[in-house]
Amino acid sequence: MTLDTEVQSLRQVPMFRDIDPSRLKLLAFTSERVQFASGQRFFSQGDAADAAYVILEGGAEVLLGTPAGEIKVAEMGANALVGEMGILSDTPRSATIVAKGTTVALRIDKRVFLELLTQFPQMSIAVMRELAKRLERTNAQLAAAQSAA
Amino acid sequence: MDKNLFRYIWRHSRRDQLIVCAVVLASLPFYFLSLDLPRRIVNEAIQGRAFEGGQRTVTFLDLSFDLPAFLGGGTVTLFDGFEVGRYGLLYGLSAIFLLLVMVNGGFKYVINIAKGALGERMLRRIRFDLFNLILRFTPEALRHVRPAEAATIVKDEVEPIGGFVGDAFILPAFLGTQALTALFFIMVQSFWLGLMALGVIALQFTVIPRLRRELLRLGRERQLASRRLAGRVSEVLEGMELVQVHNAYAWERAEIGHRLFHIFDLRFRIYKRKFMVKFLNNFLAQFTPFLFYAVGGYFALQGTLSIGQLVAVIAAYRELPPPLKELIDWDQQRLDVQVKWDQIVQFFSGDRLMPPEQEAKAAVAIGAGVLAAGTLSVTGLRVADGHGDAIIKDADFSLQLPAHLALVSDGTAAASALARILGRRAVEHQGRVDIGGLELSALTPALTGRHLGYVGLDPILFPGTLRDNLAYGLRARPVASAGEDPRLAARRIAEAARTGNPIESVSDEWIDFAALGVSDADELDARFLDLLRMLGLEEDLYRFGLSGTIDVKRHPHLAERIIEARRVLRARMEEAGLRGLIEPFDPTRYNAQASVGENILFGVPTDRDLTGRAMASHPGLRAALDADDLTDALVDMGVSIAGTMTEIFRGLPTGHPLFEQFSFIGADELPEFEQILRRRSRRNRGGLTEVDRAKLLSLALFYIEPRHRLGLLDDTMRRKLVAARRTVHLTLEATGEHGVEFYDVERVCVAAPLRDNLLFGRVNHTAANAQAQVVSLLTQIVDEMHLKADVERVGLDHEVGPGGRLLTAQQRAAVHLARALVKRPDLLVLDGALAPFGPARARELCRVLRDAMADRTLVVVVPSAADAEGFPARVYFEAGQARLETDDTGLLPPGRSDEDGRGQPALEEQDGRRIGVRV
Repeated sequence: MTLDTEVQSLRQVPMFRDIDPSRLKLLAFTSERVQFASGQRFFSQGDAADAAYVILEGGAEVLLGTPAGEIKVAEMGANALVGEMGILSDTPRSATIVAKGTTVALRIDKRVFLELLTQFPQMSIAVMRELAKRLERTNAQLAAAQSAA
Repeated sequence: MDKNLFRYIWRHSRRDQLIVCAVVLASLPFYFLSLDLPRRIVNEAIQGRAFEGGQRTVTFLDLSFDLPAFLGGGTVTLFDGFEVGRYGLLYGLSAIFLLLVMVNGGFKYVINIAKGALGERMLRRIRFDLFNLILRFTPEALRHVRPAEAATIVKDEVEPIGGFVGDAFILPAFLGTQALTALFFIMVQSFWLGLMALGVIALQFTVIPRLRRELLRLGRERQLASRRLAGRVSEVLEGMELVQVHNAYAWERAEIGHRLFHIFDLRFRIYKRKFMVKFLNNFLAQFTPFLFYAVGGYFALQGTLSIGQLVAVIAAYRELPPPLKELIDWDQQRLDVQVKWDQIVQFFSGDRLMPPEQEAKAAVAIGAGVLAAGTLSVTGLRVADGHGDAIIKDADFSLQLPAHLALVSDGTAAASALARILGRRAVEHQGRVDIGGLELSALTPALTGRHLGYVGLDPILFPGTLRDNLAYGLRARPVASAGEDPRLAARRIAEAARTGNPIESVSDEWIDFAALGVSDADELDARFLDLLRMLGLEEDLYRFGLSGTIDVKRHPHLAERIIEARRVLRARMEEAGLRGLIEPFDPTRYNAQASVGENILFGVPTDRDLTGRAMASHPGLRAALDADDLTDALVDMGVSIAGTMTEIFRGLPTGHPLFEQFSFIGADELPEFEQILRRRSRRNRGGLTEVDRAKLLSLALFYIEPRHRLGLLDDTMRRKLVAARRTVHLTLEATGEHGVEFYDVERVCVAAPLRDNLLFGRVNHTAANAQAQVVSLLTQIVDEMHLKADVERVGLDHEVGPGGRLLTAQQRAAVHLARALVKRPDLLVLDGALAPFGPARARELCRVLRDAMADRTLVVVVPSAADAEGFPARVYFEAGQARLETDDTGLLPPGRSDEDGRGQPALEEQDGRRIGVRV
């Protein structure tokens, strides 16, 4: 797998969809490709957020810590973006991510990511657009939930 | 030092000066002979005057001379000579000419060497004397001395003096004689004309020096201005942080610019003056012949002077100006160096210096033991600051030593001032500070250097290793010879004796292990380690050790253990299923985690030419790559890399952090690589110059597939690269360049850091969290194999950098403190030495140090009364008054009296944890 295939993966991520190919290549190049063994943690709930991950191969489980122990709340597959909220909002990890089977991911360092956002407004706008869309979706879900109740 | 340069030179080089003089004298007859010979060759041999009488032969080489009448007359014949014909005479005389040329050349050679040696020896002596004066600066004077100024004096300002020394006496002697001879000859020919010449010379010798006085003043100013420039440049360099933080570039530029203008202006004025004087000098020299022609001609026309005489006078005068001119030049030089000398002597004026160090062994004997158990008594002590305001107005107290004394600072400089006096870092005060009835300031450096420790706020570290810095206070004098080659040693010592330099060699053993209570360097290392651990440097030492290199000759045992640890690590990783975390170095396999260049070398470069980008231009390596047909493939790889880099980094501003961190190419090189790529596409490789190819190659050599992921390596290429290792090794060996230390699983790679030697492979960065897992496993194995102390010992070889800048502030402070502790001083003064550790840690260290100094005296300046808690004796300051308070429980730490304190074990155990070390 090379940089170009990684760029293809990044392109599948909604947040990065509208970004210039050459910028995506820079993002990929400045990121690290890491392999997690099955059951190895990407990060744990409460850790400081230092990076976001794009899953290239394999998958991951999202676990939430409860008084009764950790419970699985979601599962992520290829091309999913994980942990981006933490690095954008500068808050500790809200959940634990564990590799399900051998998983390869692209690790986007927080500092580098913010550096790129500062440097290229077009990237910032793409990220903002995605966040706004998510907010809109959440609002719609909230409204639907309220009207249902 | 002598105020008068000439007296100084004469005092120290009299013998050599006289020898050179004698050699010059001995050379003169040969010189005059060689002047006369060409005339004889032309007249006697070629024109045949010797054969005018019609004889066919003449006597050649008859060595006979007539004795003067008062010795009884007659002729002494040493050698009758040969009878030779015309050709014989010609060849004979020519041969003598050639012989004289060689003899004169030989003399010149000998004289030049002797003069050069004389000058260089004198320079060495002057420099050493000046350095000696630098060592004698008082602590007070040091506040006003700029280091760079002193350095420029020792290095630059004395240089012309050294050049002058060889000519200082010889030149005036000979030129003066020549000039006097010529003058005498003129006087003999015509008294009046001689008198006129003398008059003009007298005028020259009175007017010219007068004009030069201004020149000297300017010269002096210039010397000071240049010296200050040197001082200023180094100040700016030292304070660069300030310049950069406050954007003071413009101001500093203007400041230096102004200084340069001032120096230029001075030099320009000196030039104008100098050439004006020269002009006048030349004019006066030519004025004499004018007088000769005009006045002499008048006399000749009048008939009072024969034309022959006039011509002879003028001819004789021709001989006069050159030596005269040189003499005047010499005088100019003399004045120059005298001025320089005056300035130098002034810099080291007596009131800035301590009295010369006496090697008074008797005084040491008297003083020894006083510091350990005398009574410290301070009587009527009064200390003023640099402006004359009183810091301590009155201090009177006495205290039986050993004791642990806290000097409680009241926010003024009082506590520190007393500490400095006790540590002998300040000499200017009124009143007396005695220990055991001896005045503290009168103790010899030999005694205090050994038994007294003072640790100030600013850690002073010299460039070198941690060990060098820790051992700095242990080198009072050499105790054993290092087995220097006796011939070399004799030469070195003879030279030292001739120039007043020390005869001790730095390569001798200077550390007196016995006096320190250790048996050898290993035990001393162990003591260093104990101290540094006590001061909280354990982790740092371990880290330094892992990144340090091992001296296999010094630690053969460690080398074996490293190989063992390597195997254990490998086996342990296998067991834990962590095999993939390290990719080991295997001579038959490509190491994906290492760069292409590293894979080709398969070792660690020891030669700068094989490090970094230079590698791509290394002829041996290039030859090997060419031989294996790899160059073109690698250049093509470089092209791909350059293409990608220029594509993805375009648009990032120069100096952006991402460039520094990720790009193969510096931001400023980007346009250059774009051009290279353009050149290449234009003519399909043909457009590339050799330099271009080397640049592209260097990109390829840095490529690591899993990190950069450009998909440039396939199995064929990997195989070829592995095969190239052998070619590279053979090529480098064939050319005799051993620039690479190759990897060998059974041997320690001396050029690589200890960590790499233990891992013997590259950490797989594509495995998540690999680094941390590997490090923790490594630490575990090092602990299990009891290698930790060995690793830490390697850490003692860590370079501290200029001024210790490669260490953190706390590490510096710890080394500074440990250096004083390792001597086991009887009296240790800490004046702000704990401040860099922060208040909490400082208090903790204070306790540890008090344990370590259990039966010896410790004086600590503490910032507040709370920090003095636990100290049995405390001095409080208030409005310049000092007040001593002591506890009734005694002056040593609780639970330890003077008697039983001495027999304690070296390590204290508490809760099984080592908390302190007795030093």
